[in-house]
Amino acid sequence: MIFKLIQLQWKAFFRTGSLGGSMITKALTWLGMVYFIFITTVLGLLSYKLLTEDFPVENPLLFINKQLIYVFAYWIVIRYFTQKPPVLNIRALLITPVSKIQIVRYALSKSVFSFFNVIALFYLIPFSLLLLKSGNYEPYGLLSWNLAVLGFVYITHYLNILINSNNKAFYLIAAGLVLIKGLEYFEIFDFTIYSQALFYSFYETPLLALLPWIMLVFLYNRVFSFFKKGLYIDTGLEVKVKEATFQDYSWLNRFGKLSTFLKNDLRLIVRSKRARGTVVAGVFFLFYGFIFLFQEETFGSFMTFFAYMFSSGGFLFMFGGMVPSWDSQYYPLMMCQNIHYNEYLKSKWSLVVLATIASTLIASALYSFQGIEALCAVIAGGLYNIGVNGYLTLWAGAYTKSPIDLNSSKNPFGDKKAVNMKTLLITIPQIVLPVFVYFLGSYYFNNLIGCAMVGLIGVLGLGLKDVVFQQIVKTYKSEKYSTLNAYKQNS
Amino acid sequence: MISFKNILKQYSKQTVLDIDSLDIPVGQTFGLVGNNGAGKTTLFSALLDLIKPSKGKVTNNGVDVSQSEDWKSFTTAFLDETFLIGYLMPEEYFYFIGDLRGLNKKEVDIFLSQFEDFFHGEILGGKKYLRDLSKGNQKKAGVIAALIGEPKVVILDEPFANLDPTTQIRLKAIVKDLSENKDVTVLVSSHDIQDVTEVCERIVLLEKGRVIKDLITSPQTLKELESYFKGE
Repeated sequence: MIFKLIQLQWKAFFRTGSLGGSMITKALTWLGMVYFIFITTVLGLLSYKLLTEDFPVENPLLFINKQLIYVFAYWIVIRYFTQKPPVLNIRALLITPVSKIQIVRYALSKSVFSFFNVIALFYLIPFSLLLLKSGNYEPYGLLSWNLAVLGFVYITHYLNILINSNNKAFYLIAAGLVLIKGLEYFEIFDFTIYSQALFYSFYETPLLALLPWIMLVFLYNRVFSFFKKGLYIDTGLEVKVKEATFQDYSWLNRFGKLSTFLKNDLRLIVRSKRARGTVVAGVFFLFYGFIFLFQEETFGSFMTFFAYMFSSGGFLFMFGGMVPSWDSQYYPLMMCQNIHYNEYLKSKWSLVVLATIASTLIASALYSFQGIEALCAVIAGGLYNIGVNGYLTLWAGAYTKSPIDLNSSKNPFGDKKAVNMKTLLITIPQIVLPVFVYFLGSYYFNNLIGCAMVGLIGVLGLGLKDVVFQQIVKTYKSEKYSTLNAYKQNS
Repeated sequence: MISFKNILKQYSKQTVLDIDSLDIPVGQTFGLVGNNGAGKTTLFSALLDLIKPSKGKVTNNGVDVSQSEDWKSFTTAFLDETFLIGYLMPEEYFYFIGDLRGLNKKEVDIFLSQFEDFFHGEILGGKKYLRDLSKGNQKKAGVIAALIGEPKVVILDEPFANLDPTTQIRLKAIVKDLSENKDVTVLVSSHDIQDVTEVCERIVLLEKGRVIKDLITSPQTLKELESYFKGE
């Protein structure tokens, strides 16, 4: 029976609309995985060396244990944003002779070997082997410590599934994490001591390693019964209907013909969880520059420039990157309405440009205290985003063709993830070029000239608007039929 | 006038549409019948430039639909739920369509007021987005939206399916009203031959993409169609 379910998954993957794109994305995801496995293994080997030679601590295991509580806390956050909860086409299975227990068990167990779980081993094993080799540690203690840590990895795994499907659990855990972070930040409470004591006890008393696994069984049952209870079309699988509120947005009328579309896109962002998530992710870009703050020596000025440029491009890359897929569910309507392709695309472009101008203004306020160079970098990046990247994103959109299911967060089994690999990929050519131009400018002249050069390209791009749009419209027109066809295959 | 000339649409080797010549004069109420896969929706999609025929030319009042977008200003359609914007409330959707067709809010409200009976209190003033309406109510909203802005060509794919009996009767009355107006060409498809014979002046029967029968509706039409579908 389980085999049949696996078959279904297999077919679902290979029969989706734009398989080509999905294959490339898959291949890149695999490459990414190999990369992370490599990094993690190196980290496992290196952390031992670091803790014994470069920054020697008395007991490397104790030191690692201190940090573990934060590792797991961040692990949950990372999982929440990147790991998809199990997806199964449930409704059709409900009345087949597959027992509900089997359906849920399959949905929950197919992710056991998920990358997010397995990768922990690539750190744990090399690190533990080195500890063992040093001869200072008990093999049984290390084994039980490993098992306990693995148990916690799986606890975060099922916690993630739970918070992904249950808002109450989400708020509870989010509040918990914020509390931990807050207490640590204001130095009210030092968790590292407890973390160290807790995890070290698994080493000292091997039997205690059973505890996390007992907790895991408990948690699994909790998630299991939650999902099983949800297997009715009027409970967990129910389409939750939110009460609608009429939004007029008449203040947008000042934008003339554009306002018609602006209103709709605004409603889309407010009312579709998927779109909302994407925009929120875009807002976080504003703070990207802070990562590189005060670190110019380490990263070099062109990396810092990259960060400043990125900070104004959140909406452009995240939301703009998925134009016209946002309209995929009603693309035929758009293609039949009393608007020409040119106007439709210009309205999308204007939305992206308006948001980018706003982001540039906010970012320049945020980073202005960093001095004139930072301010220039933000503005130059913003100009480039408006004058070049705006077109590029729109143009790439003609080829994207993956439909977006706007109502996707309907049930616990639905796909909720807003960040997609492809949209991140397109950003590479959009970023490498300006950073390179900046690098040339700052290398041969100075940083300000570098900024000016990038900004100038942006201004030139703006000047070419009509010519570029002709080209974009042409591309969209020639791709129209295959786009319509690809959008037909929803989800 | 709408005309299909030497239209051929093939997917790999399979022919889904093959029409030598089909002309629909201005003002006609035109019905399309046929079994599943007969090519009804394909024909409408070709007219709306949603698919590109492998061969041939479709013109809508003199506009070659694959070359120019000018037909969009006088043509409206409701084929299926992809013509609805799920995250809008019905009112917002009507205003949006109205906006594109040059009608302001007030004009749309006046337009909608004549369909109060048809909506039966289930569309306007509710607290639901279009995506949360039942299939039947979605269709009501979509069909009425396709009438906004005095279009010259109205295309409705299976407008009577999924509707409750009262709404079906009311919708037929609406389509008949439209056909009174000699400037408006209405194209309707249906699986129910009784429905089409009731409202259409002319009925074309498609099978495997070909025109099998082209009838001007008369008291005998229903019998003739019935005997065809019985396989006699």
